[in-house]
Amino acid sequence: MLTANNIIIGFFSASLLTGLLAGLVRSKPLIRTLTALYAAIHLAFTLSAWMHKGETALGYFTFDPLGLLLLSVLSILAVTTIYHGFIYVKDDPPRVYSIYHAALIALIASMTGAYLANGMTMVWIFVEATTLAVAALIYHDRSAMALEATWKYVFVCSVGIALAYIGILFLGFTTRDARLLHLSFSSVAGIAKLANPLYLKIAFVFVLVGYSTKMGLFPMHTVTVDAHTVAPPPISAFISTTLMNVGFLAIFRIYELFSATSVLTFMNHTLLLSGFLSLLISAGYMLKAKHNKRMLAYSSLENMGIVAIALGTGGIGYYAAILHIVLHSFAKAGLFYQIGQSYKVLGTYNLDESGNYMNLFPSGATALLLGLLCITAIPPSGMFISELLMFKALVAEGNFVLLILSATLLCYILYALLTRALHIVFSQPRSRAAGVKVTVSPWQTVSQYLLFAMVILVCFSQPVFFRDIVNEIIKNLPR
Amino acid sequence: MTNMLIIVFAVSLIYLSVTERFRIYAGLVGFQGVLLFGISFLQLDRITLATVIFVATETLIFKVVVVPYLLFAVIRRTGVVRVHEKALPSFYSLLFVTVGLLLSIVVSFSMNTTPYNLMFFIVSFFAVYTGLFLIISHRKIFSHLVGFLVIENAVLLLSIAIGSDIPMLLNIGILLDIFVSVLILGIFVMRLRQHTEDLTILKDD
Repeated sequence: MLTANNIIIGFFSASLLTGLLAGLVRSKPLIRTLTALYAAIHLAFTLSAWMHKGETALGYFTFDPLGLLLLSVLSILAVTTIYHGFIYVKDDPPRVYSIYHAALIALIASMTGAYLANGMTMVWIFVEATTLAVAALIYHDRSAMALEATWKYVFVCSVGIALAYIGILFLGFTTRDARLLHLSFSSVAGIAKLANPLYLKIAFVFVLVGYSTKMGLFPMHTVTVDAHTVAPPPISAFISTTLMNVGFLAIFRIYELFSATSVLTFMNHTLLLSGFLSLLISAGYMLKAKHNKRMLAYSSLENMGIVAIALGTGGIGYYAAILHIVLHSFAKAGLFYQIGQSYKVLGTYNLDESGNYMNLFPSGATALLLGLLCITAIPPSGMFISELLMFKALVAEGNFVLLILSATLLCYILYALLTRALHIVFSQPRSRAAGVKVTVSPWQTVSQYLLFAMVILVCFSQPVFFRDIVNEIIKNLPR
Repeated sequence: MTNMLIIVFAVSLIYLSVTERFRIYAGLVGFQGVLLFGISFLQLDRITLATVIFVATETLIFKVVVVPYLLFAVIRRTGVVRVHEKALPSFYSLLFVTVGLLLSIVVSFSMNTTPYNLMFFIVSFFAVYTGLFLIISHRKIFSHLVGFLVIENAVLLLSIAIGSDIPMLLNIGILLDIFVSVLILGIFVMRLRQHTEDLTILKDD
């Protein structure tokens, strides 16, 4: 019988089993089979979860619309990430190969748990688990740079998560009953209305700062930028999309819980400030960055800034925030897969050593340009719609100062990203790359074109079921 | 008695912020573990075997034995015994930490903490401040690590304030937190021993 409880138990048992097996066996074909099987299990699990929409499993998990939407994004990107991972690690020693896949399965399972968790403590536990899993993946190359990035990631995330935990403890203080801390989100929402606003403000600030390590938002954004530089490209795609979505979800859950209280204005102002500073820092570093992956990492910071501004503005901005987070996931994942391929073809991530990509690998260069078009929200990118809605919300709120400042910074970022991309694609390299150049099959870019196609399709038409789901997610937020 | 232990904990934080020898850092982290054991033991409403084992595990075993042992191991392996480079001299550190203590007192008093003990809030906020201060004002990884451990202690102190009927999920969370700190110490610091001066490979230029 496929009850909600059974599918949760089945999924986590399957995750544990495949993860352990992938970590223990040393046969590459067997590990590949196990990981591919796990991607299929995850897809089946997501479909089953949709069939139980609105239900709660074991008291600790819930199949609510936001969790299900982000879970679906994860399911799709898990397939493409596993595929590109197979290509990336194919020549690695068996031990490294198995650690990579075991950690990847652990990461997917942890993110799934975080999306479906039905309480802040459960979200926190799964977020902590994602840190451990992703640390093993960032350290994949075993270089001094990888060690430094892993150290920084684990350290800053741990500090951030400890701060988020203080925020969660404050939820207990607001309710005057620690036992309520393990209650579902809906139960806490009712109690939050009666709570001391100062406690709610403190809880929100700690949670925002803490989970900004995962969302890649100011003030804890540096950690993800460094992680992107050294992580394998398929993992960068995950850190920049589905893992950032975990941070967004944790912040959104608290925002939703407190939105019916008197601290709504405070939360909005905090989000607007954090979002604006994210845009400012992204614009400041975008031209300075000479590493192609760091450039994309700053682009993620920019996009999370847009999401924070949209959420903090309210009204149609809520819709824009959800739409943007979904579309950014597809566009950015495709771009990271592509930048991984460009490394193979050009033999470098250094901007000055990159160039002439269109002649060397036309299929990849076209995908790179298409991805840049999507991520910079140039029509026909669907992200144009979400950014337009964000600006519409700012106009509706009469926040013209932020509108002008954000638009100026976005233009600057657009200039920085496009000049760099056009240099990689059409110009000659300024200096010679020392790395080994490898031929890449054009067929390996198919997954990227499919992801970009989804982003572009949304510009012309948003499926009715998608609109309904987003509206259901934001229905409890104040209009 | 509980208040007394919390005050001693606050004094240890002030000492941590001005000291320069790593052995004293490690010793103070262990000492704070003993204090946390005493505070959590005194806060227990019902003393059962399970609660005593749990409290002893997360404080005495991890915070008093395992963490200081690993810290001393790091000192032995790296051979680095004192802070050579701080962003601030000790006098200014003391000044900043005193301001932090005053801020913690002001913030805690401005909150209506009833029915919880106000002292927990003051010292927890102060511990978070001191931990972040240690991370920001020092260049060496070891000092950053001690800053992180101090923040972890602040979390534990605040969770003790909630009461002894703390849900199992929170306990799992705290244990997971301790596990992560041990993992950071055990694996990364040992591997990073050649790079204890600073970590500057990753930058934009």
